[in-house]
Amino acid sequence: MNWAPNPVSARAARRSEGFAGQPWAGQVRTAPGSWPPRGRWRGPGSAVVPPGVRPAAAAVSIGGAALIWLALLAPVITLLTHLSWHSIASALSYPGALDPLVTSVEAGGVTLAVLLCVCTPLAWMLARGRLPFQRVWEAGVLCSLLLPPLVIGLLLVFMVGPYTAIGGLLGHLNLSATNTFLALVIAEVYESAPYYVVGAQAAFSAVDPRLEQQAELLGDRPRRVFRRVTLPLASPGLAMAMAVAWARAMGAFGAVIIIAYHPYGLPLQIYTTLEQTGLPTALPYALVLLVVALPLPLAAYIWSARAQGRRRG
Amino acid sequence: MLKADVEVDRRDFTVRAAIAVAPGERLALFGPSGAGKTTLLEAIAGLVPPRSGTIELAGRILTRTGKPRVAVPPWQRRVGLLRQDPGLFPHLSVRANLTYARTASSVIQADVGSRAAGGTAGAELTEVADALGIGSLLAAMPARLSGGQQHRAALARLLLAHCDALLLDEPYSGLDAALRRTLTALVVRLVTERNVPAILVAHELADAQAFATQLAVIDHGQLLQAGPPDRVVLRPASVRVAELTGYLGLAAVPGNPGTVAGIHPDRVVADAAPERGLVLTGPVAASRPAGAGWEADILLPGAQPPGSAVTVRLADRPGPAGSEVTVTAIDPPLFGPDGLALADASAPRRENEAHAPAFERIGEGNGR
Repeated sequence: MNWAPNPVSARAARRSEGFAGQPWAGQVRTAPGSWPPRGRWRGPGSAVVPPGVRPAAAAVSIGGAALIWLALLAPVITLLTHLSWHSIASALSYPGALDPLVTSVEAGGVTLAVLLCVCTPLAWMLARGRLPFQRVWEAGVLCSLLLPPLVIGLLLVFMVGPYTAIGGLLGHLNLSATNTFLALVIAEVYESAPYYVVGAQAAFSAVDPRLEQQAELLGDRPRRVFRRVTLPLASPGLAMAMAVAWARAMGAFGAVIIIAYHPYGLPLQIYTTLEQTGLPTALPYALVLLVVALPLPLAAYIWSARAQGRRRG
Repeated sequence: MLKADVEVDRRDFTVRAAIAVAPGERLALFGPSGAGKTTLLEAIAGLVPPRSGTIELAGRILTRTGKPRVAVPPWQRRVGLLRQDPGLFPHLSVRANLTYARTASSVIQADVGSRAAGGTAGAELTEVADALGIGSLLAAMPARLSGGQQHRAALARLLLAHCDALLLDEPYSGLDAALRRTLTALVVRLVTERNVPAILVAHELADAQAFATQLAVIDHGQLLQAGPPDRVVLRPASVRVAELTGYLGLAAVPGNPGTVAGIHPDRVVADAAPERGLVLTGPVAASRPAGAGWEADILLPGAQPPGSAVTVRLADRPGPAGSEVTVTAIDPPLFGPDGLALADASAPRRENEAHAPAFERIGEGNGR
C-alpha cells in the first residue's frame, strides 16, 4: 500500500477535476511543461502520430477518468441533492439529537489514541522484519483484516461478554464491555486496527533503513533515531493510515450493533432512525457523519502532500 | 589506529580479514562484487556483529567476542560511513543535516558540545561547508542538490561529526569519472588533514589506486594480499590476485617448466626487448581499436589454459589476423605450479613514472 501521492497522477487528477465533463476538454491547449506533455508522441517503431490523434486520446482518457470519479462520488452527490435545510434543521433540532455525534467523536478519538500507542510499535516491528516467523505475524494481521465486522462483533461477545474471564475481570473493576462506551471503543478498535497496522507498516517500510543506520553512526540512540528520522519520514504515510482508521472507526457498525447497541454512535443512530421514522429523517445524520469524519482525513491528506512537497524543496 | 581482526558470517560464506590502518593512512579494500568487502566495513561500523574477533579504534575496543565481551553500539563508535547513496535526511535542510551529529545523543555530543561552548561551532560549519563548496546551499533541501553536491554534503556531515575513522563504501561509483576524481581527491586531502584512518571499498582498481596508500585484495571473504598498491599490482601474490588486478592472460615461461607469467594488457611493449621482460611471439587472433591505441588477442604457444588468447594493448595497429607479432611483457610476475608467486627479491619498479601521491596529480577541481 502506498499512500504517497504520485506527482504526475496528482497533476492529472487536478486537471481532470477542472475539465470534468466539459465539452472543450479535448481542445485544451496545454502550456509548455504542463501535463500532458507537448510534442508528437513516437511509439516504439511507429511513424509520427497523425495530428489530432493525441488530443482526441487525451480527451477520451480525461473523460473516462472523470466518469469513474463521478461514479465514485455519486453517493455523496445523491446525499447532497436529497437534503434540504429544512429537513436538516428539523432533524437535528430536538433535544439530544447531537448526542450520537458526541459519542462517535469521543469513541473515535479514544480509538485513534489506542491504535497510535499500541499498533504503531507493532507496525514498526513488522516493517523492520525483526520478528521471527515474519510471514506468520503478517498472516495474522491479514486474518483480522479479513474478518467481517459482524463476525468480529459476535466473537467479541465470546471474548469480553459478561460471562467470560475478561468480562468477569471487568466486572470486578465495576466496568462492563457490553452496551457501554468501553464496548463501543473495543468494537471500533477491532474494526479499524488491521487497517491502521497495514497502512503504518507500509509507511515504515518506505523509510530507508540505511538512513536510520546513518543517524545511529552520527551518534543517536535508536529511540532518538526513531523520533528524529524514522517518525518524520514515515509520518505522511502514518497520517494517511490514521485517516483510514478514523474513517473505519467513525463508520463502525457491524461489531458495534452486536456488542455496543448503546450508547448510540452516529451509524447506529442512522440505522435506528431509519427503522423508526424512515429515510428522510435518517439522511441528515448521514451528512453529519460525513462532515464530522471528513476533516481529519482531509487534513491528513493535505498535510502529507505538503510534507512531500517540502521534501522536494 | 584502526585494527580489525574478525570473522563475519554471511549467508554463503564467512569473511575473514585482519587489517590495520594508521591515522592518516588510507586502505582500499579491493575485490569483485560480493567478495565481502562491505560486510567487513559494516562489522567495523557495528552494523553487523562478527562471529569472532576484535575491532579496535584509537585505543578503544569496539568489538571483542572473547572475554571480557565488548560490543560498542554504532552510536558510540565514532565511525563515519559513506555509501553510494549519500544518505542525507530528506526531511531536513542541508544545514540541519550537517549539524545532525551536534544534536545527537551520544559521546560525540560531549566533544562537539564543548566546541560549541567555545563559540566555534557555527564558524566550523561555515568553514567546512565553504571548503566543500556547499556554503551557499545550506538552506536548501537535499532533493534540490545535484548528485555531486549531495555527496559533498554527506562528507561535510561526517567531518562535522568528528569521527575517529572514515569508512567509504564505493561512495562515488555512481558518478561520472571527473566528479569521482574530484571527490576522491577531496576525501584524500581531508583524511590527511584530519589525520584519521580511512578505508575505501572499491571494485574498480583505478578507484582504489587513486585513493589508497595501502591496498588489500579480498575475494570470496578471504584477504588474499595486502600492501602498497604498486607492490600488489606489480607483484600479485597469487594467480587469483593477478586475475583480479587485471592480468588477463598467463603465458608459460620458456625454460622454466611449470612456471607461468602474468600478462597485463597495459604492461606490454611491441617488439622484442629481452632485457625488459618476457618476449612473446604468436599469431594475431583478432584486434580492435581501444582508445588511442589498439588491442590485440595473441595466440601464444605457451598460453594457460592452452589455446587461449592473451590480450595486449599496443600503440600501433597490429598486422591482420594470422600474422605473427612479437611483444615483450615488461617484468611480469611469475607463478609456480601451485598458483603462488615465485620468490622474487627484486622490488617492483615502474619505469616511466615516479609514484607521486594520487591527489597531487589530480589537483583540485570543482565537480559541479
